[in-house]
Amino acid sequence: MPTDVENWKDELYGNEIRDHLFEFAEKGWDAIPEDEHDEWFERFKWWGLYHQRKGQESYFMMRIGTPNGVLEPGQLRVVAEIADEYARGPAENPEFGDAYCDWTTRQSIQLHWIKLEDIPDIFEKLENNGLSAQQACGDSWRNIVGCPVAGKDTHEHIDAWPVAEELHETFKGDDDHVNLPRKWKVSVTGCDQGCGQGDINDLAFEPAEKTVDGETKLGFNVRVGGGLARKEPRFARNIDVWVPEERVTDVAGGLSALFRDHGDRDNRFNARIKFLVDEWGPEKVRKTLQDDYVDFELETAGADLRDQYTYNAGTGEHGDHVGVHEQPDGNYYVGLNVLVGRQGVDDVFELADLADEYGSGEVRLTQRQNIIVTDIPEADLDEFLAEDLLDTYEPDPHPFMRGSIACTGTEFCSLSIVETKNRQVRYARWLKDNVDVPDGVEDFHIHLSGCTASCAQPQIADISLRGMKTRKDGEPVEACDIGLGGGLGENPHFAEWVEMRVAADEVPGYIQNLLSVFEENRQGAESFRDFIERHDADDLTGLAEPEETDYEDPYMHNTKMTWYPYAKDDDFDASPAPTDGEGKPIASADD
Amino acid sequence: MADRIIKVNAYTTFNLLDGEAEGHGWTEDALAVLNVTSGDAGDVVLELELDNTETEQIPAHAERVRLSPSEARELASELDSYADRAEAE
Repeated sequence: MPTDVENWKDELYGNEIRDHLFEFAEKGWDAIPEDEHDEWFERFKWWGLYHQRKGQESYFMMRIGTPNGVLEPGQLRVVAEIADEYARGPAENPEFGDAYCDWTTRQSIQLHWIKLEDIPDIFEKLENNGLSAQQACGDSWRNIVGCPVAGKDTHEHIDAWPVAEELHETFKGDDDHVNLPRKWKVSVTGCDQGCGQGDINDLAFEPAEKTVDGETKLGFNVRVGGGLARKEPRFARNIDVWVPEERVTDVAGGLSALFRDHGDRDNRFNARIKFLVDEWGPEKVRKTLQDDYVDFELETAGADLRDQYTYNAGTGEHGDHVGVHEQPDGNYYVGLNVLVGRQGVDDVFELADLADEYGSGEVRLTQRQNIIVTDIPEADLDEFLAEDLLDTYEPDPHPFMRGSIACTGTEFCSLSIVETKNRQVRYARWLKDNVDVPDGVEDFHIHLSGCTASCAQPQIADISLRGMKTRKDGEPVEACDIGLGGGLGENPHFAEWVEMRVAADEVPGYIQNLLSVFEENRQGAESFRDFIERHDADDLTGLAEPEETDYEDPYMHNTKMTWYPYAKDDDFDASPAPTDGEGKPIASADD
Repeated sequence: MADRIIKVNAYTTFNLLDGEAEGHGWTEDALAVLNVTSGDAGDVVLELELDNTETEQIPAHAERVRLSPSEARELASELDSYADRAEAE
């Protein structure tokens, strides 16, 4: 039996949602019938809009998909202008102010507190500047990810940026692919570091060499069926296909159509293609692709570069693009660390100015929620690095600052059960000030996700934190389940879950104790990931003790039960929502 | 330990309950997740999972029962009635 979502999509989905969205925007929040909220909010996702959580009715999160994280010259300022004018909410965030931009783990942009009435103007401004929120969410082709410095990378074997661009242009708004059984996440990478994170995508193109008709060519191997959500994380499976650059769009379209036709539309929890790959096996996926979805002979897989992957590989070698790196053209790119991926809007304006002044004006977003300024001539590099803004967004950050990722959390998200962004900021600062970094450790990844949906990609971190609740001194408090030892590289590994319901204010003490245990017991220069892997899973539970320290956590209470976790009066009753286009509370019909 | 079986997010009915597993000659207390959700065959699913770090006698697992809509309403009515009784005590 098709799900409610499938029925709603059958009635209306894809490009045509836009007309209805604009009609609602014209008439105002009340024009959306209350008993149709669920179906319209589901459809609005296709146009990059998530309705914010309970207590924030009438406000939306807007996601802008920037393929491969590329923001062309001028676009960062446009994003800042939109955030400045339209993304100011009724309450301030104590760390980031009242307008900010989030850089996401899929190289996209998220803005909050967007009012329905402003959406047509925002779309017009985005589209006039080559940006869009189309298909940034929903059951279709999501933002295409890849090596964020594609085309400007000395590690590169193929420039994957034109490939990602062509996929983006082909499959955004393509009626044959607008309504898939579930989200469809694609990664394209041409470098030898593995930074496209292909292993955790539904479809991954990774660089590989193949001899065809006596000629050795560079192209891509194809993997299918990766993803992290819930208890069912999967790494993408090798379907034994190599594809030349000029055939990538055909193979990608074939696999998307295969998913469209064969994915499970009766059960959304079983809908991602990872479950179809489980059921069929990679061989049947390949055969079906060959028989029914492409009209040329597929090549078998070529020789890949996975043994060279350094990105999040647990070896200690950086692969996250933070820092100063030379481009093949002799200019430099500088990767800036953005703690938990959020920048206040004034800082975004300033960064846009700096990108113009020192580089080409282009910036790029990474899958570690950071931002890269490209095309800086060597002669200007020192002056750029001396800019005050780089004291906050450092190119050479402390390992705990460098490794911190957080999802949206209860601040705005309907799914999360704990506060995340501000907490992870506090964790990183406390760890930096109080915990010795083990010898040789330069990257240490701590990812905090507010629920099992895994938006902060906790399973591929050294320390995985996932929102939960526990009881402390008789009171329910926010907590984390903890996992250890996840990462990517040639042999990717999901974190082992080792502790349940550690009170959020005892997590920094746990990490401190854990790193002491690691320092005392590691064998030589053994990496943290190898240290964890050396232990039996059962022995990892209790390896270190959670502990209260002088770390203070202002978000221990049930932040899900507030209208906004940082508001002075955070009771639901104090919420101004829903509001009209001017941000004024809409009186209820009973008043 | 194994990962949780039941997904936990803001839509989960209860993410922090006191639970208990009992066998012949043993009892173990553990915090628990209890959730009600829609089944995929027009039914209602009630699912329960005890934290597996606190249960040595049983492997990590969740348990589910599938209820027809009328059974779900009967259960709701029973819960309501026993809630009244508990409050009266």
